[in-house]
Amino acid sequence: MTRHILITGVSRGLGLALAQKLLDAGDTVSGLSRHLSADYETLQKKHGKRARFKAFDLKQASHIKSEVFDDFLPFDLPLHGFVNNAAVAYDDLVTNLDLDRFRAMNEVNVLAPITLTQHAIRHMLFNRVAGSIVHISSVCAHTGYKGLAMYAATKGALEAFSKNTAREWGERGIRSNCVVAGFMETDMSASLSDEQGKRIHSRTALKKATEIESVAAAVVYFLKDGSSSITGQNLFVDSGTI
Amino acid sequence: MHDPNLNVANVLTELLGIVNMVRENKGQLLLGELTPEMKLREDLGFDSMDLAELTVRIDERFKVDVFEAGLVDSVDEVLNRIGGGKASKNN
Repeated sequence: MTRHILITGVSRGLGLALAQKLLDAGDTVSGLSRHLSADYETLQKKHGKRARFKAFDLKQASHIKSEVFDDFLPFDLPLHGFVNNAAVAYDDLVTNLDLDRFRAMNEVNVLAPITLTQHAIRHMLFNRVAGSIVHISSVCAHTGYKGLAMYAATKGALEAFSKNTAREWGERGIRSNCVVAGFMETDMSASLSDEQGKRIHSRTALKKATEIESVAAAVVYFLKDGSSSITGQNLFVDSGTI
Repeated sequence: MHDPNLNVANVLTELLGIVNMVRENKGQLLLGELTPEMKLREDLGFDSMDLAELTVRIDERFKVDVFEAGLVDSVDEVLNRIGGGKASKNN
């Protein structure tokens, strides 16, 4: 069965890799990103109408219902999954906290995903779809890293939200899980120095960066019926951070 | 209700259809009639999850989120929210 999956942050990195995997498998992807990237445009050329796209900035969480759902995801297009992938990282020492930047990060990393989940579940209820919600979390919510306390706090919030969503909506067959990703070589971690990167990788069993493909494969697993008895879980895809 | 097509009788008929969709999914008997004084929980037998589904179906049909401005208890209150909602204001 082919599915229709909403993915945020689809223009590059993990979101792009995931969109590609799903499109190659015959699914329909509704992608959100601030801008249409050349890479996603290539997917659109290859997959046509199955590679849907809406330019949307998650800083505008209060516009999600009108702009994302009413305009882009009408009820007559059943939604089978939502992948909350987009995030921004603001790193600094706790003692240097800039409240405005922290608020902006929370809007994108927490408020927007929770609002998207609200409407994704409503969509699933309307069409009686036993859908799957997957949040991309980060290993830094479990293993401390200097400078990432504020970012980690947003991911911890998502993990708690996911578990409670799973409990709340399980009776309607709607599942919610987190893929807890290690440090991938994406634009998000590009600000890390080589030295920081080495230190992070040295804390993993596999001694290397987490592969985007491996994280994407875990997300696909949660989206498929093969994981139909799994909800409220965190799956660590992090090169074995210990 | 400012929309001439949205008179109380028409809305009640549509609401009855929506209520019965939710009841049918739960294996409950279909209702033959919906009256304004009926209570959503006591008379319709809806729990919070059923009310969530009802909200979505009403929103899809009437473009009004009936629970947005606080809890509603009876069919009459649902009618009021639909009547005072965005759909009829825009008409």
